[in-house]
Amino acid sequence: MNPATDTGAAAPDLETLEAGQELPPMHKFPDEAQLFLYSAASHNPHRIHYDREYARFEGHDDIIVHGPLQGAWLTQFVTDWAGPGARLLGVTWQNRASGLPGEELVFSGTVTSVDSQTGVVELDIAEHTSDGRLLMPATARVRLPTA
Amino acid sequence: MSESLIPAETLERVGEVLSGPVTVVIDRREAQRYAYAVGDENPIYFDEVAAQAAGYRTLVAPPTYVTHAVVQPRTASDLRTDGLYREGTRIRLQVDRVMFGGEEWDFLEPVCVGDEITAIVRLAAVDQKEGRKGPFVRQVRETTFVNQFGDEVARSRMIGIAR
Repeated sequence: MNPATDTGAAAPDLETLEAGQELPPMHKFPDEAQLFLYSAASHNPHRIHYDREYARFEGHDDIIVHGPLQGAWLTQFVTDWAGPGARLLGVTWQNRASGLPGEELVFSGTVTSVDSQTGVVELDIAEHTSDGRLLMPATARVRLPTA
Repeated sequence: MSESLIPAETLERVGEVLSGPVTVVIDRREAQRYAYAVGDENPIYFDEVAAQAAGYRTLVAPPTYVTHAVVQPRTASDLRTDGLYREGTRIRLQVDRVMFGGEEWDFLEPVCVGDEITAIVRLAAVDQKEGRKGPFVRQVRETTFVNQFGDEVARSRMIGIAR
C-alpha cells in the first residue's frame, strides 16, 4: 500500500472542485539514511548531501536534503492527491532554502484553476519546515479524468 | 545598468548542445529503487495490473526519474572536491557562485519500464537580471527526452542563478 494515499481520501471530483480549495497536507521526515539512498538511486555524488564537515565548510547548517528529492516529493504530493487515473502535466519549483535531516517537512497546496472541460487543474504548492520556514514555492498542472 | 556578467562568447552559445544525445532503457529495478528512495510507493510504479488499470502500457517510472536514468557512468577521478563531476562543457560567466535556482518540468507522455529514452541538453537561455542584492545571471539548461516512438515525453529546464 502507498502510505501517503492510505488515508481513505477519495480522488478529487472534477464536478465539485473549485479554485481556493486546499489539498490535504503531506508530511516527510527525511533522515541521513534516506539522503544516502536518494544520492545512490539518483546517481548524485554531491558531497553536501553526505559529508557533514564539508557541508558546514560550504556554509550549510548540516548535510542538506537534495533539491530534486524535494521536487520528487512535490510530484508525489500531487499524484497521491489526484489519484492513479490523473496525469501530471507539469511542475515548477524554486529552491529558496535547504531542508535538513531530522526536520519535519510539510507540503501544502491550493487549487488555483479548474477547467471542467479538459480536466486540467492548476495548483499552487509550498514546502515548509514544520516551524514555517519556506523551502520551495512550487506550481503544478494535472489533468483529472473527465466523465 | 550594471556591467555585463555575461561574456559575448557565452551569449553566442545560447541554443548550443551542452551534452548528449544519451540513450538509455528504463530499467524496472532502477526506477523502483528510485521510487523507494523518495518514499513514493505508488502502485503504478510497482504493480503492473495497477499500472494498466490506470491506463498505462505497463509499469511507469516516477515523473522526474528520467533525468536520473540518463546519468552516464563516470570514473571517480572525474570528481571535484565538492563531489560533483567535472563538466566537459563550461559556460563562462563573470561570477563567483552558481546556485540551483529551481526546475520547470513538462510531462508530455508517460515514461514506462522498457522505454528507450534519448536525452539531449541545450543551453536554452542566459539572461542578466537586477535583483535586490545586485545583478545576477539566470542560466537555463533545457533537457528534452524522446522515446523509442519518436515522441517527446518530457522537457526539463534547470535554472541556475549566478552572481
